[in-house]
Amino acid sequence: MIFVVGLSHRTAPVDVRERLSAGADALPEVIARLAARRELAEVMFLSTCNRVEVAALPNAAAGIDAARDAIREELARHGGVAGGAELATYLYEKRGEEAVRHIFRVAASLDSMVLGEPQILGQVKDAHDAAIAAGALKGTLGRCVSRAFLVAKRVRSETSIGAGSVSISSVAVDLAQRIFGDLRDHAVLLLGAGEMAEAAARSLGKDARALRICNRSFERAAALAAEMHAAAVPWEGLEAELVSADVVVASTASRAFVVTREMVKRAMRARKGRTLFFVDIAVPRNVDPAAHGIDNAYVFNVDDLEQEVARGMKARHAELDAAEAIVAEEVAQFHAWTRGLEVQPTVVALRSRVREVIAQELERALSGRLKHLPDGDRATLTRMVDGAVGKLLHGPTTKLKARAAEGEDARELAAAVRFLFDLQDAREPPEEGEGAAAPDEDERLAN
Amino acid sequence: MSQLANVLFAMTAVAYFAASLLFVAELVGRAGSWARWAPRLVALGVPLHAGHIVVWSLVLHVCPVEGIHFALNVAAMLVCFAYAVARLRYRVDVVGAFVAPQALAFLLASRFVGEVSDQPHLRSVLLPFHVASSLLGIALFTLAFAAAVAYLLQDNRLKHKKLERAERLPPVDALDRAEHRFLVAGFPLLTVGILTGTIWAREIEAGGAVTGIVRAGLAYACWALIGGVLLLRAAAGWRGRRAAVGTILGFGLAMLVLVVYLVRSLGGHA
Repeated sequence: MIFVVGLSHRTAPVDVRERLSAGADALPEVIARLAARRELAEVMFLSTCNRVEVAALPNAAAGIDAARDAIREELARHGGVAGGAELATYLYEKRGEEAVRHIFRVAASLDSMVLGEPQILGQVKDAHDAAIAAGALKGTLGRCVSRAFLVAKRVRSETSIGAGSVSISSVAVDLAQRIFGDLRDHAVLLLGAGEMAEAAARSLGKDARALRICNRSFERAAALAAEMHAAAVPWEGLEAELVSADVVVASTASRAFVVTREMVKRAMRARKGRTLFFVDIAVPRNVDPAAHGIDNAYVFNVDDLEQEVARGMKARHAELDAAEAIVAEEVAQFHAWTRGLEVQPTVVALRSRVREVIAQELERALSGRLKHLPDGDRATLTRMVDGAVGKLLHGPTTKLKARAAEGEDARELAAAVRFLFDLQDAREPPEEGEGAAAPDEDERLAN
Repeated sequence: MSQLANVLFAMTAVAYFAASLLFVAELVGRAGSWARWAPRLVALGVPLHAGHIVVWSLVLHVCPVEGIHFALNVAAMLVCFAYAVARLRYRVDVVGAFVAPQALAFLLASRFVGEVSDQPHLRSVLLPFHVASSLLGIALFTLAFAAAVAYLLQDNRLKHKKLERAERLPPVDALDRAEHRFLVAGFPLLTVGILTGTIWAREIEAGGAVTGIVRAGLAYACWALIGGVLLLRAAAGWRGRRAAVGTILGFGLAMLVLVVYLVRSLGGHA
């Protein structure tokens, strides 16, 4: 049974999450330690800004509780937490179908702090690759995580969960694109050199032709400019900068308008009416809202942007039901596959028993009454008997697997088959984590 | 031959009609992934339309750029052709929302309005140049007009901060740029059309008729208005809304010239 132990932004504060997180450099070491635990047959370690999780399949001999304790121990050791008790208050645990649903939801970004954000899928892929490299993913959990990628892809393509902008900076970029289209031919001017300016610069500046930073403290502007590969300009040159910039992001702490309507009017005359877009994310506002009334000048303040963020979030939440339905469908399909695995040993044993009996009888006949048959006829007879066995067993084995996939009385049927054919060696279900799927089941799940 | 012309006519009409429906659906946010087929259908209509014009002119023994009765038909085809080429560069697909219904209307009008007949007294060496340059100019002004209308809509949405609706139209800057370039390309053609038209009218001595004077007056006013729009943009930075309004007025005058031309022609005079 697959299970997940972890903590996220919903259960743990950031100081706990950061203690347990592991960057790309630490990930191989953490996964190697987890993979070395004999209680775990398969394991994957996922670490993002908002969650630290271990998905695992317990070794059948150890049991799920021992596996969970092993994971808690390793997490406590990795986070430098002395006792497991403190950590336990933040940890959640999900088992079986619930765990599979959780893995699918995480990959599809349905459990993310920002619903539908795309980064999580890449982070799950990194975790998957690290686990594969450590030899910690095999049949069942490996299949589950691979399936999670397809679920995420389906959710993204069949719903609009990733549509719309859901952060101030992404809305600013989106608006700039609605005004200019491509930003590659346009210059961005930052007014202010604080944290908000930096965030805006990272979003807007990366595609722009030029990025210039204007701040009351020139040293601060120069420091940020050096970091962002931009140019710093003195505060006195602000009005001249309005003539050459196309997008102006204002985020100073000034209590009065830094850019007045008159300044914009003069700038528009000097720029021969070329479009000028202001993103005013400062409170109090930096740009006179009356400038929005000037032809070809657009001023959007933080309220306008936040309304757009709210609209984006609302649109994404409206897609949640459709996304959850896809996850539910995929969980049911995966569950059917794992149930099919439960009767697999019985199917294999039945085939092997029937073939063994037929082979013995055939051998006896070919060395006795039919020993006069030439080699060609012997081969034909062997093929004929093999074919008959295959056809005869196809019906019962298919029905048994179908019953198991549907969650019907497959265990009882399997027990009946074992009793009727005296298949003592097939009583135990496959050891978790080592159950490789039969080819036909693999194909069904992949389709 | 006549049947082939009819088949091509029907296929062209279906392509423009389907494109128009898809453009309207896109503007009201109902087209989904089908929206990308709208410009493609306009582009598909161009060769069908051109085929229809050629076959029909062979059936009627009338040269498309010599006879004035093909004007609507050829203009509609040229608008669609210019759109199909321009959208690859300017990415202003939404302009097709005007182009496709207009092409459909012109196509139907050319078929069902008036009789086509050869008028030897109107023939002149200049006539093909006049008709071709005027129609090409009108095709480009049509695109400029559509871009200007889309600009005003998008600008209005941004000014009123109706951002949800603004998603359905191209960026204002792209629309303004496209409108300007269509005008720049169309203006020399309009100039040639007016010059050749003036000389041609003198040749056939039709310049004295009242409709001829009205038509010439409207054409000169259209030329002056569009020239003014281009000049003020370059000299005084008249972009965006002002340029869009000027373009719309200029296109309106160009359409009036065409209407006077057609009304006069259908009455059997030059």
